[in-house]
Amino acid sequence: MKTAYSIKTTPEEVSKDIQSQLGPSEPKAVVFFASCAFAPEAISREMQSAFPGVSVFGCTTAGEIISGKMLKRSVVAMAFDDKSLEQISLSLIEDITSKTAVEDALGVFEKQYGCAMMDFDQEAYVGLILVDGLCKCEEKLIDRIGDLTNVLFIGGSAGDDLQFKQTYVFANGKAYPNAALLALLKPRAGFKTIKTQSFKVLDQQLVATRVNEANREVLEFNGKNAAAAYAESVGVAVEDAPKHFISNPVGLLVDGEPYVRSPQQIKADGMVFYCNMKEKMRLSILETTDIVSDTRDVISATKARMGNIGAIINFNCILRTLELEDKGLADAYGNLFTDIPTIGFSTYGEQCVGHVNQTATMLVLKACA
Amino acid sequence: MAGKAKQLIDSIIAQRSKGNPSVAKVVKAKFILKGINPDDFGATSADDPAVIGQLQALAKELGVTV
Repeated sequence: MKTAYSIKTTPEEVSKDIQSQLGPSEPKAVVFFASCAFAPEAISREMQSAFPGVSVFGCTTAGEIISGKMLKRSVVAMAFDDKSLEQISLSLIEDITSKTAVEDALGVFEKQYGCAMMDFDQEAYVGLILVDGLCKCEEKLIDRIGDLTNVLFIGGSAGDDLQFKQTYVFANGKAYPNAALLALLKPRAGFKTIKTQSFKVLDQQLVATRVNEANREVLEFNGKNAAAAYAESVGVAVEDAPKHFISNPVGLLVDGEPYVRSPQQIKADGMVFYCNMKEKMRLSILETTDIVSDTRDVISATKARMGNIGAIINFNCILRTLELEDKGLADAYGNLFTDIPTIGFSTYGEQCVGHVNQTATMLVLKACA
Repeated sequence: MAGKAKQLIDSIIAQRSKGNPSVAKVVKAKFILKGINPDDFGATSADDPAVIGQLQALAKELGVTV
């Protein structure tokens, strides 16, 4: 796998720059993540033109990641060659609100491979998902995918450099809003997936007792106004609660591991989150720990289990990026990936089994012999 | 009657995972994300018709027969 990045200023220059770095051999597929500083239609068109006949896909970002660096206003790309990837197929969901979106998208893979999704070997295949980051429906999408297959799909929600206006996924030389892109990969040398978040689980618990699931709102925790109950659990006044949103999100625990739900704002007496919550869900208050050392540990552990790592695709929550920047640790985080061919981006949400926040999901490909 | 919810949960997890512990772990996570925590149900848990209905619907979503 080869990686490249460009900080040139036009889509034409960027695509040529990346083509020259990834060439001369023709890749099997190219995934790229691009800042919204580049016109989405133009960057998708130019990147596809740079690699004619190749599966080229990606999405817009809220910041980019390349081996050793966290970038802004750039494009990062990874080329998969035949040696690293036995098969790759793409399936585009042009309208994620369609009731049969997931069934239709997975049907494309079934037709291509002549195999029912439930029969794919989850040890041999892995899925990537890139999805509109402002659609508020990632939960339904990833949940339905998991209903229909045991192949694990991981990925991230596209960003738009914190403008919160429009995000895009890229495929077929075009840029699609309100869309999702699924990629089904069969790596030759094996893979692992990582879901990592840097939090200590505290004793304080909140049960969502009244919710507006579609709007990702919790109206009541523990039978009280949500904002008051959250503030009480964190030990602060309601007006000071927003200062604790990044350091004290809530987590749905699965065997002690949090699936993080991050508060966005207090609305009336309720709270809006970046993830939905269902009634009766029991959540724990979390407390932030060290993202850099936690990530270093998880990469080291993965390396020990796999032998050599060939490449990483990192979907890193924008709230983690903001926290790293706030603490002056963005360079230290980027440096964790210096020796590993890595690309990634700062996401508006992450997917692994479910939709989560303040998490990094990563696809780790084993190095080919 | 008691314990039906646990029976249904165990059956759904067993059918989907086919004995693969990694898949079983993912299915358990899916239960929790869907709003049902398998750890809340045991052999003596009362059979709540609402929960049983929820589990039957979940089984259908997951493509298994209970």
